[in-house]
Amino acid sequence: MAKDIGKPIFDLFLLVASAIGFYMATTLPAVSMAGGLSPVSFPKLISGLIFVCAVPCLIRDSYEWLVARRVRKAETALNATASKKGILQWLTIVALIIVYINVFERLGYLVSTALFCFFNVVLLVVVSGEFQKLSNSRKLRNLAAYTIFSVILSLVIYYVFTELFNIPLPN
Amino acid sequence: MLMGYMEGLGLVFQFGTLLAIAGGTFLGIIMGVLPGLTSAMAIALLLPVTFGMPPVMGIGMLLGTLCGAGASGSIPAILLNIPGTPSSVATTFDGFPMAQKGEAGRALGLAIVASFFGGVASMVVLSLLAPPIAEFALRFGAAEYFSLSIFGLVIIASVAGKSLLKGLIAGLIGFFCATIGTDPIAGVDRFTFGQLSLLTGVNLLPALIGLFAVSQVLKDAFEYDPSNKLQNSPHKVDIARPRFIETLRNWRALLVGIVSGSVVGPVPGAGGSIASLVAYDQARRFSRTPEKFGKGHGAGIVSVESANNALLGGALIPTLALGIPGEAATAVLLGGLMIQGVTPGPMLFESQSGIIYGIFLAYLVANFFMLIIMCLGIKLFVRVLLVPRKQLISAIIVFCFIGVYGVDGDVFNLYIMLAFGLLGYFLNRYGFGTAPVILGLILGPIAESNLRRGLQTFGGDWTPFFTRPISVTFLVIALGLLALTLWQNYRPRQQDAASGAA
Repeated sequence: MAKDIGKPIFDLFLLVASAIGFYMATTLPAVSMAGGLSPVSFPKLISGLIFVCAVPCLIRDSYEWLVARRVRKAETALNATASKKGILQWLTIVALIIVYINVFERLGYLVSTALFCFFNVVLLVVVSGEFQKLSNSRKLRNLAAYTIFSVILSLVIYYVFTELFNIPLPN
Repeated sequence: MLMGYMEGLGLVFQFGTLLAIAGGTFLGIIMGVLPGLTSAMAIALLLPVTFGMPPVMGIGMLLGTLCGAGASGSIPAILLNIPGTPSSVATTFDGFPMAQKGEAGRALGLAIVASFFGGVASMVVLSLLAPPIAEFALRFGAAEYFSLSIFGLVIIASVAGKSLLKGLIAGLIGFFCATIGTDPIAGVDRFTFGQLSLLTGVNLLPALIGLFAVSQVLKDAFEYDPSNKLQNSPHKVDIARPRFIETLRNWRALLVGIVSGSVVGPVPGAGGSIASLVAYDQARRFSRTPEKFGKGHGAGIVSVESANNALLGGALIPTLALGIPGEAATAVLLGGLMIQGVTPGPMLFESQSGIIYGIFLAYLVANFFMLIIMCLGIKLFVRVLLVPRKQLISAIIVFCFIGVYGVDGDVFNLYIMLAFGLLGYFLNRYGFGTAPVILGLILGPIAESNLRRGLQTFGGDWTPFFTRPISVTFLVIALGLLALTLWQNYRPRQQDAASGAA
């Protein structure tokens, strides 16, 4: 049973996105082709098919979610916390990747990668609650280890890709 | 054919190529050991490394990865009762009990040799069957290629998603994304939003890495739990001595595994888990001592592991001969071939026979490397399991960035990668699957250009698509498969409803 409301929401997203795709396809220049299809036809057909397929998915997933919601007991506080923690960890990674993309060329590969690796590990252990359970001396030792890991990983990968595989990376 | 093999031999037996195959096999083994990291992801991450390499060297490296990842899933399955890959699930049935009896080294030795025999046998099957299929495919015209694209999409959609509709939606998303860029016939820009980077369409590599690597990293981040640590195996193994004699003594199980893998392999979408479970079940049926299965019996491991690797060669048949991959790993490999400038399909066998036979031989060599590396490095691979997930997540993201940026130094591709990563995460989470998207991206342009070209040739008449024998055969099979899958999806619901009413 679909206890996750995300399922029908994602179906709805697909429905809306396919409708937008269909509309955008209609705005493309319809160059007439002798005997053949115009450039508009294929995207219109595909977005229309996605829309048609997404409707029954939305109905089924919404129904299953409603049924599951009715029968299940209230979610335990523990599960809710675990789920919230997961979402927070997920959002942290996505946000870090976006920042990493933005600074990749500006700061150069070495600095941006070392910073990304460091903050990625640190934020993950902080958000997951792993860090709080450590003693102060252990926290410091771990932070030092994460720093060394970030710098060494960035340097090793830089050397391997630029020197051995000749793949240029931003300086 | 002989000339092709001679040319292929010359391409494979060069120091650089052998080193690349060995390196790919080594990395594939490491990826296969880590539960959750798939062979498709391993190939996607290694793709950028192969850019500067000649085709046989690059593809050989990717095949080594596929071969290594296919075999090494047995290591955590035997030592920790955790299958490294879905196809190693059945290895736990006898592998783990054997390890508990203090025979972990023997179990690993059997698994490695059985994987080797399975891989070699599948190479023979591949080299025998792929050329005639490709030769047959030379008769294909626009109508046939269009129907073949639809056939391929339906097949992968019917098995990749949790329901046929969801699999189809995923494939259609791939088709739609493939329409981005300059239209192949009229030259009109479609959905480019003024972005120069999109004029040539969605770059395949960021899409591949996003769908198979970034989506997995996002899943790992969501599920990251510091209390969930993998412990070192209590079963100490210094070296896994290959057990050739004992494997051959279990010849029935070996044969069953090879046949099961070779038969299931070319069936698009069937996958390794099905092949290994079929092999295990059949080996037990054919065994004189079926009662020993599940209690640490060598024949169980031999059947499963030989099937796992026998499957790979079979899965490469439709990929190389028709350009239609049957599952995620071969879909990514197909993308890799195209990035290398090698277009799989019948023409490849005609125009670049040296490359194709070189690929067959590279796969054979990869199996030998797998045997050697697995036997010598078993102690190291067991320790790979202890690499903390948080560090692994960082390293994988960095690899993804370098791979995507390395194509043409365009930051826009990193956004494409992230977008496909997010899409892949939600598609996997809600049961749509990601393999159909890649297949849609690859088959979309083939389907569209052949449909439009065919209609132009036939003067706007649709009937040749439904009357030409090969074309109509593909369409009928695709329709039949659609009907069968819909029925299979519908039947459990009916049974659930009936049992609920009772």
